[in-house]
Amino acid sequence: MLSSSEIVSTLEMLQNEHLDVRTVTLGINLLDCASHDINRFKDNIFTRITGLSKNLVQVCNQVGDKYGIPVVNKRISVSPIAVPGAMFSAEEMVEVAKTLNEAAVSVNVDFIGGFTALVQKGIARGDRALIEAIPQALAETDRVCSSVNVASTRAGINMDAVLMMGKIIKEAAALTAGQDGLACAKLCVFANIPEDIPFMAGAYLGIGESDAVINVGVSGPGVVKKAIDRALSSAARPDLGHISEIIKRTAYKVTRVGELIGREVAQVLGIRFGVVDLSLAPTPNVGDSVGEIFQSLGLKSIGVPGTTAALAMLNDAVKKGGAFASSHVGGLSGAFIPVSEDLNIGEAARRGFLSIEKLEAMTSVCSVGLDMVAIPGNTSAETIAAIIADEMAIGVINKKTTATRLIPVPGKKAGDSAFFGGLLGQSVIMAVNNADGDNPFVRLGGLIPAPLQSMNN
Amino acid sequence: MKKIIISVFGPDRPGILAAVSRILYEQNCNIENVTQTILQSEFSGSFIAEMPETLTADILCGLLSEVLTSMRLQVHVKPLETSQPALGGKPSEPFVITTRGPDRKGLVANITRIIADYGVNVTNLQAAFKGGENPNDNIMIYEVDVPVDIDTHAFHRKLRDKASELGLVISIQHRKIFEAINRV
Repeated sequence: MLSSSEIVSTLEMLQNEHLDVRTVTLGINLLDCASHDINRFKDNIFTRITGLSKNLVQVCNQVGDKYGIPVVNKRISVSPIAVPGAMFSAEEMVEVAKTLNEAAVSVNVDFIGGFTALVQKGIARGDRALIEAIPQALAETDRVCSSVNVASTRAGINMDAVLMMGKIIKEAAALTAGQDGLACAKLCVFANIPEDIPFMAGAYLGIGESDAVINVGVSGPGVVKKAIDRALSSAARPDLGHISEIIKRTAYKVTRVGELIGREVAQVLGIRFGVVDLSLAPTPNVGDSVGEIFQSLGLKSIGVPGTTAALAMLNDAVKKGGAFASSHVGGLSGAFIPVSEDLNIGEAARRGFLSIEKLEAMTSVCSVGLDMVAIPGNTSAETIAAIIADEMAIGVINKKTTATRLIPVPGKKAGDSAFFGGLLGQSVIMAVNNADGDNPFVRLGGLIPAPLQSMNN
Repeated sequence: MKKIIISVFGPDRPGILAAVSRILYEQNCNIENVTQTILQSEFSGSFIAEMPETLTADILCGLLSEVLTSMRLQVHVKPLETSQPALGGKPSEPFVITTRGPDRKGLVANITRIIADYGVNVTNLQAAFKGGENPNDNIMIYEVDVPVDIDTHAFHRKLRDKASELGLVISIQHRKIFEAINRV
């Protein structure tokens, strides 16, 4: 017999606190689709993707209905296209992206990730072609997501790739100038990219993964916020140790939901279950915000002094709860702070509580990085590369994933608004130091060596 | 040994279980299962016990009544017959149906009518109030076993239509979700 409090608290999480499964992502290995013939390659990947995922949306909906937990997004991640497509030119890579898009449309998933290159140590022919294809590929498709890993703790930072990505981001923005540089919202630059992220835009299926795998991304910033609010309004005012415990327990519950749904979807589809990515991923809705958690904790706004400490506690407690709930936690698993996708964070940026520098500091203790940050359209490729380099350094030195998803909004300046629509939200454009200035440092190129793995102070 | 089921109900007070169990012990009966609940101020308890062949349900009922009547309790005793499980052994899945909305007459009758029509068995029914001022926070919780061979889409649709007619928010969820979230 279930207790009424177990049932009522679960219903509260679902009906009033935005608990959902944010994404079930089917990872599909395309390595054996390789062919020197572009048409054959396109046929192979289309057939493989649509064959494996034809029932994905329907099964996710059925399982979601059974448990009363909405599976909000159904997505696909594929092997990094630069590997099976290594023999193709940039123009051909654009064709491959269009095929990926057609496959995504055909099976009704909202995003397909894996237009990806891994260049942390060096850029091979196929990697270069893929990276050069990114602007057009993202401008001419609407469901394809791209990621480029330019750094890792084992390899260091590939500054040639970093500078290249600065230019690519500018080109992608220019090609989608009428949509405020929307293509850049589908492009992440990573350090230490995990092989099993279910969340976009960074999802791809790692080289070390099997033929197909189901990864699940759960969310729940609203659930965490409400749990903190309840504790703080109770008679026994909790201290931060107690609040951390509450966050941990909440993360446990959310992770369990994700694993239950993921395993059942995987079982019905006859595909191996991979990981639960427990990330506090906001949406542009009131009550589904990471930023609001900081206000619940007593900070005037995300971004004011105290934010980094609060985020460190939040992120650590989320990981601890998730690790206890499931032995298969992976992906990013931490708090996301995407500026445009979180109403509260966007508002903090608009009111001047949050600068790029503060966001960068925060990324040293949380899971993503400078995510969905709109910057002035006149920001130079070199300055963008330098921001990426800073962010990569945080990831490389701290042995963690960091990423950037920067959007230089064409024709707009700091303080203006950018609109991306849907889950991608809208944002004020944040000021960048030395935005259009020269930056000879990033032009030096080469590889910033991998850091020492000892003397960790 | 034969089995009996004893029902006791009346105003709650200290000593009810002590009185029933003492008499059963004195009569050489062995209690196998007990469930008890208190609804508002009323006690209700059921006991399944083994009793010696020499004793009858009527005699035991008389012995219990002598003591329990003075405590303003009513008692009923009947021999326990072995019967089929509620769904006749058909495979089923455990679901939890919850309705939330203003209290009104016929609410349970309307919902359970549909549940019964589809051959679904209620294994537990609870009413919970979330607290606060809002009458909409009345929650009815039906734990049910749903035979796997029924048309679940039609069943869910019927329930949702009826809930909407009654001004209720309804959810129908597999029991595993509550266990996954709340239990280690």
